[in-house]
Amino acid sequence: MTQHPHLSDDRLIEVSLDRSPSVTEREHLGACSVCAARRADLSQLLVATTSVAIAEADAVFTPERLARQKTRILLRLEQEGRPGKVVTFPAGHVHQPRPLRARPGMRWVAGAAAAGVFIGILAGHYAPVFRSGARQSSFAPVSPEAVTVQTVSATMSEEEFLGRLEMAIDGTSGTTLQPLHDLTPLAWEVSAP
Amino acid sequence: MPRTAQQRVTVPAGASREGNFAPLSKDSGLAAEIKAMIVSGDRDAARERFADLVALQQRRASRIAYHCLRDVHDADEAVQDAFVKVFTHLTSYREDLPFEVWFTRILVNGCLDLRKARARRLRWVLPASPSTEVATREPVEPQPNPEDRLLATECGRQIAAAVAQLPERQRAVFTLCQIGGQSAAEVSQALGLSEPTVRVHLFRAIRKLRGLLERERTR
Repeated sequence: MTQHPHLSDDRLIEVSLDRSPSVTEREHLGACSVCAARRADLSQLLVATTSVAIAEADAVFTPERLARQKTRILLRLEQEGRPGKVVTFPAGHVHQPRPLRARPGMRWVAGAAAAGVFIGILAGHYAPVFRSGARQSSFAPVSPEAVTVQTVSATMSEEEFLGRLEMAIDGTSGTTLQPLHDLTPLAWEVSAP
Repeated sequence: MPRTAQQRVTVPAGASREGNFAPLSKDSGLAAEIKAMIVSGDRDAARERFADLVALQQRRASRIAYHCLRDVHDADEAVQDAFVKVFTHLTSYREDLPFEVWFTRILVNGCLDLRKARARRLRWVLPASPSTEVATREPVEPQPNPEDRLLATECGRQIAAAVAQLPERQRAVFTLCQIGGQSAAEVSQALGLSEPTVRVHLFRAIRKLRGLLERERTR
């Protein structure tokens, strides 16, 4: 058994990494089985951790990924220092103002259309006045003698009532329904909203 | 005042630029070549050559961004932004420094910015189901690849869950050291932390991982 003390953990790590033990340390490692076993364990640990760490990175950085990475690096270097590309505005979208051309014929047409619109507005404005005058004449009070009230018995059938109504409209006595007719708007007078 | 995980990364004033770094790699030489093309005015040729640089760093960058952000779309965006930023500012790249360190710093800063933006966004959004925290996966292929097969094992799932449970700073340091393959000095440059702080975070991360996995095994 050697007289030298066992190597400390730190020194053993250092020896395992640098592989340069001093003469005394080398002698001790050769003679001390405990330290030799510790060193072997440590070396094994370092080899295993290193190979696993390398394998972990290499599994992620596959040759394909490295090739893509290299391509991108070279592409970036190629574009380095180049001025930015200026994108022009699409020429097809530019609005070109068209010059106005004098066309005498068109002027006459426009003038006639404007006059037509003006006359139409005037006619529309004054038409109700004329019509109301005409209606007022038709609302002349009807003398009570002219109105012949026919009493309808409760026993009269529906068919008989409608028949009498038609006779009243078709016959001379149709004038009695004139006020009702005047109150009712005509279809062609009703305008769409 | 203690630094928070959300702060932007700046190079520590006392950080050494010499030593501690590996000799200039293929990507550093390529970056210097592209820089010369840009300076001479041949921007198109520089852009074409830059594709090779992207191919060299892309996978590593995606792994780091994914573990910083835990979201595939954010990680993708962070990686793209980082590459575009690198090309834009390539004239300020110092050829005596490893390109990987410079690029990682830009990437990590971008990830922090995105995380801040995401936090602002989430402030106004109602919390969704816990499934949103899980990364979005690509459509599953009919034939699982080796990564999927590993993750599908019980042990793989436990480890992935344990890594995801690490606090942000510890996860960032663990990711850059173990997944990004950077030394403590390079991580200190990338995260703007001192080297001893990087080591402390790394030790804590590993201890936490061990504790979490042991707890899972004893269940």
